[in-house]
Amino acid sequence: MTATSHHEFHPDAESLSAFSEQALQERERAAVLAHLAVCRRCRQVVALAREAADAGDATAAAPPRKTIAPNAWWKQWRLVWVPTAVVAAFAAASISVYIERADRHGPRIRIAEQNPTPSATPPPAPTPTEQAKIEPPATASPATPPSHTAKHAHSTAAEPPPAPAPPVVAAQMPSESEAPEPGAPAPRVTHRQEAMREAPPMSQAEEQQASPQETMGVHGSAYSQPAQGAWEAKQKQSEEHRQAEVDRSRMRSFKAKAATTGEHGTDQAAPPSQSQSVTVTAAPQPEMQPTPLAAPAPMLGFKHMSDVSGPSNPIQLPSGLASVSIASRGHFLLAIDKAGALFLSEDRGVTWERITTQWTGRAVEVHRQVAANGAMQTAPAAQDGTTGNSSADEGTASPPPVSFELSNDKNQTWVSTDGRIWMPE
Amino acid sequence: MASTESAARAAETGIPKGTGAPDCVPDRCLDPALAAELWRGCDAARWGLTRDEFEQILVDAGTAQNFGLAEAPDANPATPKQQAAFFRNLCVADLALARACARGNERAWEHFIAVYRQPLTRAAIAITRSETLGRDLAEQLYAELYGLNVRDGQRRCPLFSYRGRGSLMGWLRTTLAQRHVDHYRRTRREEPIEEFDAPAPDPPPQTPARELSLLEQAIAQAVSGREAAERYLLAAYYLDGQTLLEIARVLGVHEATVSRRLHRAEKEIRKQILKNLQRNGMSRRQAEEAMGEDARDIEVNLKKLLQNSQSEAFQEQAAS
Repeated sequence: MTATSHHEFHPDAESLSAFSEQALQERERAAVLAHLAVCRRCRQVVALAREAADAGDATAAAPPRKTIAPNAWWKQWRLVWVPTAVVAAFAAASISVYIERADRHGPRIRIAEQNPTPSATPPPAPTPTEQAKIEPPATASPATPPSHTAKHAHSTAAEPPPAPAPPVVAAQMPSESEAPEPGAPAPRVTHRQEAMREAPPMSQAEEQQASPQETMGVHGSAYSQPAQGAWEAKQKQSEEHRQAEVDRSRMRSFKAKAATTGEHGTDQAAPPSQSQSVTVTAAPQPEMQPTPLAAPAPMLGFKHMSDVSGPSNPIQLPSGLASVSIASRGHFLLAIDKAGALFLSEDRGVTWERITTQWTGRAVEVHRQVAANGAMQTAPAAQDGTTGNSSADEGTASPPPVSFELSNDKNQTWVSTDGRIWMPE
Repeated sequence: MASTESAARAAETGIPKGTGAPDCVPDRCLDPALAAELWRGCDAARWGLTRDEFEQILVDAGTAQNFGLAEAPDANPATPKQQAAFFRNLCVADLALARACARGNERAWEHFIAVYRQPLTRAAIAITRSETLGRDLAEQLYAELYGLNVRDGQRRCPLFSYRGRGSLMGWLRTTLAQRHVDHYRRTRREEPIEEFDAPAPDPPPQTPARELSLLEQAIAQAVSGREAAERYLLAAYYLDGQTLLEIARVLGVHEATVSRRLHRAEKEIRKQILKNLQRNGMSRRQAEEAMGEDARDIEVNLKKLLQNSQSEAFQEQAAS
């Protein structure tokens, strides 16, 4: 313990300072500590000196701290932005997901309201593979229209190059089996069920024949619904694009086929552009019109199978029933469905007009009237007067006019020259 | 390197190898190698000190403090090794600057003002907790340091009392604190500091006077028998109201260490009081009843005892 002139009996400032800085040796430190234990004044001195040292240290280190005010508002709230940003991001993500789901489910709900199906609940939309399973398998006959399903798209190479598939949306759309997507899936499946329900029971062969047209009708009915929003419009546009591409490829395929075979006339080689466009633009029409493209090969062969009637006829009529008898004269077509209704088409089956019943019983057959010499009357091309033969015919003594004969189930016959007015024979 | 080896050799042999000082006493001379080493590290020449003056300053500082030994120099003189350790632990640069300033070296004063004036003012403000009082206190000390006080025709500078045991800034802060406390105690004579921290009034005595006197005696014995460190802890915590952190900073230990030591001291003191009471003729039950069931009673008694111990310590120290 060192006495100073100012502080008798107290450690001097140096000893206290050294004690506070831990600079004393053990013995000196113990002596100072013993004094501090009993001297309040020295304890105060040491405590104040230590406090001043801490304040000095804080001030010495202050310059970098002064640049950041400890009580700056942005510093106090700085950490608050982190959870706020996280919450905002989560909310934005949730809203976007909700909007996206609402966009998905909204049209579907509207479709369900606008297109109530008689069936209890439409089954989930089948995937393209399932769709292929649902539709009847293509027959082995080459005359059978090429299948429109994915299954038959992979037909064997032995078959003739299949005509491009009609615009079967189901086979081209991505898988939508999880849930009925807006617009397409529900009507796509249910239309077939409706057709099956409305139609009388068909044989398996008839069903197989009718399936391509029904498939077309399915998609036609799907688009025959009223406008269903922007999403549906986009779908339509994309469908149009895809269909146009398919049709173009079909045209190329047909041209190549016609060039190789050389058996068909000009009508066969003509691209069915009208029917293609009708197929696309007919979507909003309330009534389904079967398109010849649904069965390209038979349609092109109408002239040759004008009197062909029966289960192989692939035409689907507005009634939704399969045709049982068909007669043709160029672009002029007459067809009888299974219910006995007669339909007339002047544009190769693109549009149909139902003829009022002017006969008794149920019409079962229609055919072109056979000439007296037993040969069928000339082709429609000859009727158009575009060939020399037609003019020669006109110049000769009034050849018998081309007429059609309609037979009922009682084997009675009616005749007509224009297909609209029928007179009993 | 050579100087270090020389210093080590001198420390081992105890015979300094200083040249030019053949008649120096071993415990009063500084090894020239160590002196040269210290000389190079303190920029003493910059403040106008010669090497001899510098060595003399070091020797004076060592002898005045017995080279860090608490005992009297005659009882146990410091060995050269202890002396070397003492010199190496000195803040030689600060010591040289302080002595140069005390001698009135202008360059030293310029440096001192540039380095220490602002920290000195800040420390005074921190001590007084008032900018006005702090600036006044700092200016007053600064005037004293500059040597404006003259006694017996001689200029007196407090920097002469600085011997380099701690840092010069620490010494300045402690000096400021001393002056502030002394000033406070002088100006509050009518209202002594002790009265501010007077212990709570004792509850009305419910125990007989004999038991109370025995209890006070036992407490005094128990507290006085504790080590200085424990008594300092108890006094700083219970009497001065310092926080554990403040005490820890003074002692250079962790805050938790202070808390642990404090609780241990309380426990042991309580045990010791019980023993002292039993030694004075009380049964254990009587001793526990005398202490009271509430442990806070022992704290109140400790405060009172520590205050009494403080006055007694002053008296003992004054008598010595």
